[in-house]
Amino acid sequence: MIQDYLILSVILFCLGILGVITRRNVFSVFMSIELMLNAANLAFIAFSRLHESMDGHVLAMMVMAVAAAEAALALAVVILLHKHKSKLDTNIFSLLKG
Amino acid sequence: MFAEALFFGFAVLSVLGAIGLVLFRHPMNGAMSLVVTMISLAGLYALLSAKLIFALQLIVYAGAIMSLVLFIIMFLNIQESDLPTEKGRWLYQLGGIIVIIPIASFLIKIVKSIPDSEATIVGNGFGGVKEVGLVLFQDWLLPFEIVSILLLVALLGAVVLAGKRRMGK
Amino acid sequence: MEHTVTYLGLIPLLPLIGAVVIGLLHMFTCKKTPLPELFYGVLACVGPVLSFFLALVVFFQLKGLPAEERFLTHNVFTWFAVGELHVNMGFLADPLSSLMLLFVTFIGSLIHIYSVGYMAGDENFGKFFSYLNLFLGSMLILVLGSGPVVMFVGWEGVGLCSYLLISFYSKETDNVLAGNKAFIVNRIGDLGFVLGMSVLFWAIGASGFDYLSLKANVTSIPPGVGIAVCLLLFIGACGKSAQIPLYVWLPDAMAGLTPVSALIHAATMVTAGVYMVARFSFLYAHYPVAGSVVAWVGILTALLAAIFGMFQKDIKKILAYSTVSQLGYMFAGVGVAAYSAGIFHVFTHAFFKALLFLGAGSVIYALHHEQDIWKMGGLKDKLPKTYWTMLIGAFALSGCPPFSGFFSKDEILFSALATGHTGVWLIGVLVAGMTAYYTFRMIFLVFHGKPRVQESFDHAHEPPAVMTVPLIILAVGALFAGFLNLPGIFGGNLNVSHWLAPSLSELHPHVSVWLELLAITTSVAAFAIGITIAFRKFGQGATEPEFIGFAKIAYHKFYVDEIYNAVFVQPYKAFGSIISRFLEPNVTDSHIKLSVWLYQKAGTAFKVFQIGYVRVYAIYMVIGLSLMSLFLSQTIN
Repeated sequence: MIQDYLILSVILFCLGILGVITRRNVFSVFMSIELMLNAANLAFIAFSRLHESMDGHVLAMMVMAVAAAEAALALAVVILLHKHKSKLDTNIFSLLKG
Repeated sequence: MFAEALFFGFAVLSVLGAIGLVLFRHPMNGAMSLVVTMISLAGLYALLSAKLIFALQLIVYAGAIMSLVLFIIMFLNIQESDLPTEKGRWLYQLGGIIVIIPIASFLIKIVKSIPDSEATIVGNGFGGVKEVGLVLFQDWLLPFEIVSILLLVALLGAVVLAGKRRMGK
Repeated sequence: MEHTVTYLGLIPLLPLIGAVVIGLLHMFTCKKTPLPELFYGVLACVGPVLSFFLALVVFFQLKGLPAEERFLTHNVFTWFAVGELHVNMGFLADPLSSLMLLFVTFIGSLIHIYSVGYMAGDENFGKFFSYLNLFLGSMLILVLGSGPVVMFVGWEGVGLCSYLLISFYSKETDNVLAGNKAFIVNRIGDLGFVLGMSVLFWAIGASGFDYLSLKANVTSIPPGVGIAVCLLLFIGACGKSAQIPLYVWLPDAMAGLTPVSALIHAATMVTAGVYMVARFSFLYAHYPVAGSVVAWVGILTALLAAIFGMFQKDIKKILAYSTVSQLGYMFAGVGVAAYSAGIFHVFTHAFFKALLFLGAGSVIYALHHEQDIWKMGGLKDKLPKTYWTMLIGAFALSGCPPFSGFFSKDEILFSALATGHTGVWLIGVLVAGMTAYYTFRMIFLVFHGKPRVQESFDHAHEPPAVMTVPLIILAVGALFAGFLNLPGIFGGNLNVSHWLAPSLSELHPHVSVWLELLAITTSVAAFAIGITIAFRKFGQGATEPEFIGFAKIAYHKFYVDEIYNAVFVQPYKAFGSIISRFLEPNVTDSHIKLSVWLYQKAGTAFKVFQIGYVRVYAIYMVIGLSLMSLFLSQTIN
């Protein structure tokens, strides 16, 4: 039964990766990353239920805290990028070229 | 029996939401799909007897983070012309799926090698506030403090970034 | 049976520490305020004088032991142990090295004191004494080394210091060229030495590579290998001790300062080759063939150098050729297996040759750096101390009884005769006569008669006491050192030979009194004839002759330097220029250019991946991840 949760977590994670590598929209990329983090959370909780230990819950909480911090900063950066070029395309920012 | 049906329902909902996030063009639609995914994930946590995390998922993730994302999307006043023309998107999706299949199969293989067990809902003594609190403040005290510093750093970062914008004017 | 003492390591260490300290002090103060010369002088002389006292301690300690046990060893540390080769930085004091130690430190100290006066006013005072101390330290390592490898360390060290000191005034190109020549010719000899050491190790080195173990195992060398080792080591000695064909550096080395010539190129460094042959006497004694080669090369060198010396006009060049000639005698001595005779001649030669060089330095100093004897004359009354001491040195060099040179030279000639090397003996007698001739030619032209250049004569004055006192001390040694090894015929009992016996594998053939008398009379007769001819030609004043015919060729040293230049140096240089002008740009450089071009092309090709879109980089990561998981899935099941 727990295996099903884990398989679901794997599916969500791979969908998140798919979203990161295929979408050009900045928001979509960011939200796919959030999806990946959620999938990881699900895995944590499932394992914690498997081993009857609270550590997974605690770690899931920490992941949520980190995700919150990251969301704040990422969105601030997105706003600045939009200010700069008024476009939301990741393909415009290619200063790393060469 | 009921639990299995619930599990199946929540699982399908979360996968549908994820697929919607990946496929929708306008980020607002994608954000709404992600909210659906998160709520169904909260349901799954409840099925795993993680009461505190269920509540926190709803409050923090679906409530705070996603509302922040939606707020920013609406704040930027995205028009159709702002969105990138993602032509050739289906080709990329196909290519992406092909690349991801090995990863997925590898991970599933690993998952299948773990011995299965039942996921009955436990009442007290597991997953509640008291139990999580005990473990958090005894074994995981140092990471807890460090995460608080991390949040402080994020706060400062956000202030600096926002402040730069104002000064730039 | 050997005894271990712990102060042996100090003997070379003290001058080396002095060298480092003086060198550092000079380096850090010479550009700002130079330290007072007396400071450097005292600091420099402390090391050698202390080493001399330690050498005396060694001598007396050895004397207190019974004859078979006279070996003091000190293994400071294990230098390296690779497979079978186990080399210690060890020192061995036995009768042979203690004798060498005594006169090296004694004459070294005297020359240090002399140099304090000679170098007065020079701005590189400190640098000179640093090099001189370094030289003494290296020479002591050479003498005290407990095995061929440690000796080689000292060998190389003295070669280096010789180069540094010859080209000391490096602003003059001639000095630098002379220093280069000395170092390069020495190097050629060193190749022979290293090859000899390697073959020796290959033959018997497995059970220890120091002198005592080698001596114990010497019988297990196959004969051909043994002769090869002897000859290869002798090539090294030819380089260091200026024998044919590697003697060409020594006359040019006279471009260096006179105290340097006295110490390095007369008394100590050049005798290292003789010391080496004596050290390996356990090896040379087995192969009379190799010994004959050594003896013949030695005596022929003596002849050649004496011929050159008869026609030179630079006072230091005369003494340089005289040194080469006397070294030939020493090799003749050790070649006919009369090792103690050769070493005794090293001992006495150190005294009188250093004396002659220091005296020449005195004359040069007095005449303000005039070195041409045809511009000197009549200095007998102006430089009395120099004159009388140099006269003593000249008598000793020429082999006049009862001066020290007579006893040592006679011992060698007599041994040559006694072991059947009659050819060597005859040439030796001839060279003795020539030695007397050119030595007194020098003395008569420099000190007797009328001065040839009046104004330098008027300005001449005796050098200060710090320079004349060492001369007097050395003169006493030149006079009386011979009595240390009086042969039986004069009532002595060969003290030095007996002292050296435990270190050397010497045969003592039964001597016939008549043979000994023959040798003595011929030596004395040769001396008498030589000095008479010199007196007739130069005693009453003479003028510089115009050389023609044989004399001209001899004056130009048989054009040997020019021949070497044409046969060896120019082709080598041409070969080098071919390589640098054709081979290098086209062959080696083209390979490097090819690989550079390849790298640049590959870099440009890979630049395609650096597209600048972070999303694409993320795609690369995911592709890598999927490949990895493909691979890992195989290993899981």
